[in-house]
Amino acid sequence: MNHDQVERLLSARIDGERLSTRSSAALEQHLETCAECRAFERGAYRLREAARFEVAPAVPDLVDEVMTAVGAEAGQPRPRLRVVRPAGSSRRSIFPRLAPVAAALVVGALVGSLVVGGPWQRPETGSALAATDVTEGIAAAAVGLDAYQATFALDEKNLSPEVAERHLTMSVWFEEPERFRLDVVDHTEYPTTTTPTDLRLVVDGSTWYAAGPSPCATATCPRRESVVRHRLPFSTAAPTPTDLVLPISTLADADRVTVLGRGSVLGRPAVQVEVPFERAEPLFPFLSIGGDWRPFFPNDRVRIWLDERSWFPLRWEVYPATGAERDAWALRFGLPDEPALRSVFSVTALDVSLDAPDARVFDIPATSSSHDQGARPVSLGDVQGEAGFEPVAARTVGGLDRYRVVLPRDDAGGTLVAYADGLAFLNLGETRTWNGDAPFGPVGVQAEEIPLTGGGVAYYEPSSDDHGRRVSIHAAGTDLYLESNLPRSELLAAAAALPVQGLPMPEAWRLREIGVATVERMSLEAARASVPFPIELPAALPAGFGLASVELVDAGYGVGVTLYLRDRDADAGIGTIRLHLEAATALPPATSATQSTVDVAGVEGRFTPDRSQLEWIRDAVYRSLDAPGLELEELLAIATSIGPERDEAGG
Amino acid sequence: MNDPDPRTLTRARDGDVGAFEDLVRQYQGDVWRFAYHFTRDRALADDVTQEAFLRAFRFLRGFRGDSKFTSWLFRIARNCAMDQIKARNVYVERVTPIAGTTTDPQARVELHAALDAVSAEHREPFLLVEVFGLSYQEAADVLGVRVGTIKSRMHRARRAMMDALAVEEEAQ
Repeated sequence: MNHDQVERLLSARIDGERLSTRSSAALEQHLETCAECRAFERGAYRLREAARFEVAPAVPDLVDEVMTAVGAEAGQPRPRLRVVRPAGSSRRSIFPRLAPVAAALVVGALVGSLVVGGPWQRPETGSALAATDVTEGIAAAAVGLDAYQATFALDEKNLSPEVAERHLTMSVWFEEPERFRLDVVDHTEYPTTTTPTDLRLVVDGSTWYAAGPSPCATATCPRRESVVRHRLPFSTAAPTPTDLVLPISTLADADRVTVLGRGSVLGRPAVQVEVPFERAEPLFPFLSIGGDWRPFFPNDRVRIWLDERSWFPLRWEVYPATGAERDAWALRFGLPDEPALRSVFSVTALDVSLDAPDARVFDIPATSSSHDQGARPVSLGDVQGEAGFEPVAARTVGGLDRYRVVLPRDDAGGTLVAYADGLAFLNLGETRTWNGDAPFGPVGVQAEEIPLTGGGVAYYEPSSDDHGRRVSIHAAGTDLYLESNLPRSELLAAAAALPVQGLPMPEAWRLREIGVATVERMSLEAARASVPFPIELPAALPAGFGLASVELVDAGYGVGVTLYLRDRDADAGIGTIRLHLEAATALPPATSATQSTVDVAGVEGRFTPDRSQLEWIRDAVYRSLDAPGLELEELLAIATSIGPERDEAGG
Repeated sequence: MNDPDPRTLTRARDGDVGAFEDLVRQYQGDVWRFAYHFTRDRALADDVTQEAFLRAFRFLRGFRGDSKFTSWLFRIARNCAMDQIKARNVYVERVTPIAGTTTDPQARVELHAALDAVSAEHREPFLLVEVFGLSYQEAADVLGVRVGTIKSRMHRARRAMMDALAVEEEAQ
């Protein structure tokens, strides 16, 4: 045998190929005397080592793309995404790019695991994209988006035992600043005569129209229409569900957004994020327009794929939450067992375009009756004559352009100037005759006091289901408020830039009488000086939460303190966390039938589920902690992070 | 590489789209890696993978089980890769180093240098056998050649790569 023949046999043997007895023997005999062939064998093993320990490239998840094509082949049309940009457009790009994608692509999976079909990620991990990149990217993309149209497929599971699956399509049109239309067409074949969930919502500035079957217990439900005329700009009572275009509200709060990773959806690079359903409701506006829809649990997980370049939502799916509470809830609604890994509702973009919609798209159908919101349009030149004062109405506020001036029909006798750019808006309300007992505008007395750059203070509240982020400014001779979907920092900067100096709340607002009790808003320092026990803040709060305000409560028998802790960006979900402290040696009498005894770091406490309230006493101080959206475990985590509890819990 | 559950395969052959989706899930990683090794281009690998599964769906009825399912699937993937390369008239001869970390950076550098040194004809069986763990018969099925051809190509690939490495070492 020559070297060449031996190497050939060696090569086959290394690869596990069976050699004949005769070949094996000859091979061994040759190897004993041939250093060159022994070197070949060693070299071959070294190559193998290198090959099998090479870093495997991250593998994309292509199931959807493949199944889309397969579905089309099998006669079941599936979505194909098309993103069309207007040709020859010279306007500034609405596609802000973030951190370089390629740099963060690969994870350290080894070829060794690849050979045995090792684990691969869905989606790709190793993402350097932070939640703030997503929220900031969306906020930046919202400004400057002037037109959009898209079609989506909606797939719903378990509407009822008879209707296990429904398929609908949704079309969306938008044109800045405030024209919007949403159509839902139900393609489901119902087993019995049923009114299909066909919906329409049209917003054209001051007019708002919604139509759909009324939700009713019977299979055939009458169709109802509602129209709002003289609508206030960006009215949240007659809303424009623009989160479908860019999830600016849903993903406003980086603390609540989990970035799951990157991948590709419908052939486009995309990033996947997760938020609980209760925070993602703006992505499901059709649920409230009409018709029948399956129920969702607040903690169900919504996984959203966002186009990495435009931040448009391409697909979002609802996955059932796990746990006994969800199971009990599902039982109440008669839902079947829903595995956590199977989506129960999905929205998938079929077609996205930046072309301006035809103007007729936003025509409001003729209807007999309508509701009047009473916003009377007025030209800028006539404002002073109509309102009796010259409002702060600069050409731009917060970088947005002035677009509508109206006189709201309310007792404040004020003006409302709306600013907009793309999907971003800011309402600036003003009055000279405010005599209410709280800040002007949709801002409460427990709002956070914020010192503005350049002097003065404003009172801030995070966005909620009913309102955008807002600040109220009480100045000499005038009261203003700003409401916007801009990020907190930009809203505060816009407020600071106004030519007014915000004053602290007058005593008339800070002081309230509730029954026999007197409640007074004050600083944390002032409160500490007013009570005979230490006031300690919880060290562990939900991400994004901070102290908004402090009130001293005097009920006649002693003085207590209430701390209001709020999310800085958005109120949705948890709501305001209240911590009340008061000198006491025993818990107050039980007030609910469904209370239970719990252990709060070694002290016996009480939990009241219907109020999400935890009460306990330590060092002769009664503490009550409550928040609408928190469960017992979360309340306990906060409770045990307060001052002494933390020390004992840690030890 | 394991073949699929025969029941899944049978259902997929009978046109069950759900069963086929299971196959896609099970093998997309392997097919994509194979396509990537073949094309050295992520976007091309995506296209090849999609096209390969689409063709597999089309032709699954004709799969008679003469070879392993995975060999059959890889052969389709390889054909798709060839088509893509022809269509785009690009073939990245140089092995682009893949970003990332490894337990032995030296070994990686060497491998890339060595893979650079061999022709596609030899690189293919080497990748199939060494990286994807296919047997000679399976590799032969994928590449549409005889087992003996695989045997000699494996040998020549190893020889050429080792020679390349020796040259590298001498040059340093």
